[in-house]
Amino acid sequence: MHDLELIRVGKTYPDGTVAVSEFDLQVSPGEFVAFVGPSGCGKSTTLRMVAGFEAITHGDIIIKGKNVSAIPAEKRPTSMIFQNYALFPHMNVRDNIAFGLDVKGVPRKERDAKVDRILDMFDLSQFADRKADRLSGGQRQRIALARGLVVEPEILLLDEPLGALDANLRRVIQNELKLLQRELGITFVFVTHAQDEALGLSDRVIVMNNGQVEQIGRPEEIYGSPMTEFVARFIGANAIFEGRDLERAATGHSVLTDHGRIAGHASSDLGGGGGIIAAVPAEAISIGPRTRDESVPNRIHGTIATKHRIGSICRFKVSLSNGQAIDVETASRDPHLMALAVGDHVDLDCPPERVSLLPTRP
Amino acid sequence: MESRLLKPALAVYLGLFLLFLYGPMIVMAILSFQGPTGGPQFPIVEWSTYWYQHLFGQISGSRVSQLPVGESLIRSLVLAVMTTIVSTVLGVMAAQAFRTRFAGSGPIFYLFVLGMIVPGVLVGLGMALLSNMLGIDRAWWSTSFVLHVVYTFPFAFLVMLAIFNRFDRSVEEASLSLGVSPAETFRRVTFPMIFPGVLSAMLFSFTLSYDEFSRTLFTSGPRLTLPLSIYGTFSVEIYPNVFAFGVLTTVFSFTLLAIYGLLMMRSVARNNQQFKGQEA
Repeated sequence: MHDLELIRVGKTYPDGTVAVSEFDLQVSPGEFVAFVGPSGCGKSTTLRMVAGFEAITHGDIIIKGKNVSAIPAEKRPTSMIFQNYALFPHMNVRDNIAFGLDVKGVPRKERDAKVDRILDMFDLSQFADRKADRLSGGQRQRIALARGLVVEPEILLLDEPLGALDANLRRVIQNELKLLQRELGITFVFVTHAQDEALGLSDRVIVMNNGQVEQIGRPEEIYGSPMTEFVARFIGANAIFEGRDLERAATGHSVLTDHGRIAGHASSDLGGGGGIIAAVPAEAISIGPRTRDESVPNRIHGTIATKHRIGSICRFKVSLSNGQAIDVETASRDPHLMALAVGDHVDLDCPPERVSLLPTRP
Repeated sequence: MESRLLKPALAVYLGLFLLFLYGPMIVMAILSFQGPTGGPQFPIVEWSTYWYQHLFGQISGSRVSQLPVGESLIRSLVLAVMTTIVSTVLGVMAAQAFRTRFAGSGPIFYLFVLGMIVPGVLVGLGMALLSNMLGIDRAWWSTSFVLHVVYTFPFAFLVMLAIFNRFDRSVEEASLSLGVSPAETFRRVTFPMIFPGVLSAMLFSFTLSYDEFSRTLFTSGPRLTLPLSIYGTFSVEIYPNVFAFGVLTTVFSFTLLAIYGLLMMRSVARNNQQFKGQEA
């Protein structure tokens, strides 16, 4: 049985605006899934529909085999974590965490034991009697997590929970979240606009755009073989070449671009009549001084526009003949490559197995 | 304008403003300490607390009759408390309803607020006519009470609307998602957080009702409220006992304000910490 199942879920506002449409998803118990997409893509709305804060206008939401579409938020076995923590400002840390149990009438002894255990788990025992608003952002988000988890939900919903934290703290809490989820084995549904967060934390990523699901897959699938142009452009640092004149071959397909013919693999149907693009992850592209060797497939010529060395990696921006600029990342160990300077002519190799050919929307 | 001109000008303006604001009250306060033979004007014949004693019936054999405020004071206080409770409860509920847009919410908003805009004399007269037509006896606790609520409710409503406007809904959603019912969420999360606003709404309702004149004039029937009975004494002759009474009610009002201020400072201090914390 799935922990969470969305069946053709959709929401249309009374004025006809479509917030989310035809959302199908099945989440296994203990899975960590992330909704990612630009702001306004419907990811938060979907999460809020699962929580019961937004009514759905189409489809069904099933949690643990039970249709909850018409059940109010407080009766659903979900807990939500908010970007702004949403702690109760008039209560201290302990009362914040104990609130859900207290209202449910859990006996005092049992409640105290549970709260103590979770305070300890989140390293919050020393702050138990403080007002939540005296603490730092990271601590407050820990309180919110403790408060949401102490009521033992089936599914934890997290709406951009790290959005208000600074970069360092975000990494710390990211690790904690990942460990926590593994330890507890609870299903997590996580919403973020940051691709790296989605790719790094989750078992499966759902990429959304304009209220629709673009692609659902494991992080490496989303990253390595984007199914749509949107995913290729949104996820990671892909170099994208506009192509035409598709050639199909048994070994692989290829398209003609401004930089010559580029071969790659197609994971979706290319016969739609629209254009075709070739997408290559930045780190798959290798850079080298210009040679006269034209036998290497997918070799592109360019000129180094900028070079940034940041510790162990080096980032080149290479301008191509048609004015396009692409980013290339290499390790800065190689003295041969580090000798390259701005203005040098270079060859860029895009290994065909890392090139995705994708249809563009007509 | 240059600041060396602007600043003195503004200082003079402020001085005049304060003078006009507090001048009448100060004059009244001084005159309330007039001696037994003095009148309601300068000069002060003799400093004394005679008229305060007179007010409480401590003076026997005075040719001036005691100010008939005792019962009307009680009436006004009871009426103000009733009005405060009803207007604040209605104001909180109405503002809560207006947090979500519903069909007709625009026109209904204006209908709600109309009560504070229409002239009091007209509403009072209209109520008098209506109760005559319907054969209802006018009294301070019925017809006047209804008009006091109609008048003060919009103030309470607008105060609460402003409070809810800045209210972070996700705190309530957090409570709901913990499995807490909407009613319990309101009682244990929403209400404690909007309490400073409720306090302001109560203060507005109380003070507006306590010295309401025009609406009460036509609707209170034979038993008068405090503003009406004080006005009634003016029609005979004015003695400094009215001033003494005025000083006492002002002191009472300031006490209310001080209590409000203390309660407010406590909540605001709490909220300030919250905001500071969020920036950190």
